[in-house]
Amino acid sequence: MHGKFDDLGRFADPSVLILTSLSDGPKHGYAIMTDITAFSGVGMEPGTLYGALSRLERRGWIRPLAAGERRRPYEITAAGQEVLAEQLRSMQQIVRTGRQRTAMA
Amino acid sequence: MRPALADRLSRALVGCYPPRWKQRYAAELLDVLDQHRAGPRTVLSLAGGVLSTHLDPSYRMEIRAMPRLGRDTLGYLTIFAVIMAGLAAVTVGPAIARNIRESSWHASTDGSVGTVAFSRDLRLMVSTAGNTPWAATSTLWDVTDRARPRRLSVFEGGSTITISPDGRTVATSAFSGQPALWNVTRPRHPARLAVLPARFPSGALWGEAFSPDGGILAVSSMSGLVLWNVADPSRPRLLRTLAAPLQPRGPAPVPFGVGNGDLVFSRDGHMLASVSGSGQATLWNVTHPAHATRIATMAGPRDYFTALAFSPRGNLLAGVTYHGSVLVFRLAGPARPVRAALRPRILASARFPGGGGAVPASSCAPSCGVAAAAAAAFTPDGQALTVVVDRPETFPSTAARDTVFTWQVASSGALSDLTTIFHDVSDAQPTLAPGDRIVADGSPIGGQVHLWALP
Repeated sequence: MHGKFDDLGRFADPSVLILTSLSDGPKHGYAIMTDITAFSGVGMEPGTLYGALSRLERRGWIRPLAAGERRRPYEITAAGQEVLAEQLRSMQQIVRTGRQRTAMA
Repeated sequence: MRPALADRLSRALVGCYPPRWKQRYAAELLDVLDQHRAGPRTVLSLAGGVLSTHLDPSYRMEIRAMPRLGRDTLGYLTIFAVIMAGLAAVTVGPAIARNIRESSWHASTDGSVGTVAFSRDLRLMVSTAGNTPWAATSTLWDVTDRARPRRLSVFEGGSTITISPDGRTVATSAFSGQPALWNVTRPRHPARLAVLPARFPSGALWGEAFSPDGGILAVSSMSGLVLWNVADPSRPRLLRTLAAPLQPRGPAPVPFGVGNGDLVFSRDGHMLASVSGSGQATLWNVTHPAHATRIATMAGPRDYFTALAFSPRGNLLAGVTYHGSVLVFRLAGPARPVRAALRPRILASARFPGGGGAVPASSCAPSCGVAAAAAAAFTPDGQALTVVVDRPETFPSTAARDTVFTWQVASSGALSDLTTIFHDVSDAQPTLAPGDRIVADGSPIGGQVHLWALP
């Protein structure tokens, strides 16, 4: 699994989860955490979430929207959708290969 | 690890991120922590976040400041610092747990708390109580452990109050509305030293302030300003009486209940700023207090000042008005202060939320954007200005919300990079404690004092 996510280091996996979470609409920090837990079972902690958010924002893959009170929602950008689609294709390939091989075993 | 300790450590770690990162993300992260049940994983994730952010070239500003240090050296130093911080957190965790975040307690039995003041070392706090000036009391508190404040004594007088820089003398108002000095070197047994005669025929006291060396007590009222030599507080001597300037084009008279304008000395003790007359800020030269003179008088935008603050270098004066406008004046040529920044009606533009104890936009007009009470202070390095404003809900609700605005301040006085924090409290009069990181709210209705720490 090589691609644009490699540079994100330990934030690569959280980044995929965050981009996936934002794919169905803007969300603020805590909503992203609960959504990720709901669809993946992964309990993401605030330090990891904001480490990944700051990197994704700097890369232009997500953008912050106007803050309401202390909560600032984020939305995925076109560039973010593109890299997410690329990453998911790569993961799909791994899933396909894994299934084929485990079925053969 | 107990959840309460994990929560406190997590919040403490938010303060360890690089300043620019905190400016951008800290408020959001704290909001997430408000909703998240913190545990050891939370603490570890934040510690990892702090470390990786400090190692992130985008935030590693120390590289520019220390060009001779290599990237690896800085990395090792950062890792060492985080490990030491972790060890310190484990060993002094219980102490942090006692002193951090916030506490709230009933400070008055008659259901009102007015002014709150702190000693410079943040060990003593004094609060006033009483709905009428002639039946007011003052209470002295030991707040060394802010989670468990201890009542030390109750003595007569109130409405205005301040503590001398050495923490040995409290100035308050006597029952007749005159200034009074109290010896609090034995805080459980305060002794009245003197009652200072009123110098103006009418008008309640608006404020009292000790000079930074503690030798002068300034007392302001609507009619003017009086300077006393209190080097020996048992024998105060009158130094100067100064009438409030009359401004024919000034704002409307200060509304009932708002008449406690601010009074602050510059750090070098050479200047004094007061709210006087009909709400203007007046700058006084008190280098020679017996011959003090007015330097200039500044008006808000058709408004009256309620809080003032000098920058540490004394080259800037910030003011907050009753309607929530923030002004900064540059005092490079003190005789002619220049307005360097204006942020009009900051509450109205703060996207004040419509729920959760806030005033719905439909029901608060025309008072929306009005800061009923405010406090202001520059950070000790002078690079940021913090303004706390409190807007209560409409009567009879006692709900309110402190809104903390922080700007970066250029040497010219220009403001930039606004960050905003909201904090729910009961209807309250905010005060910024020395060091500007603790907000104290005295509730004029609920009789409570609420302390909370800025992140």
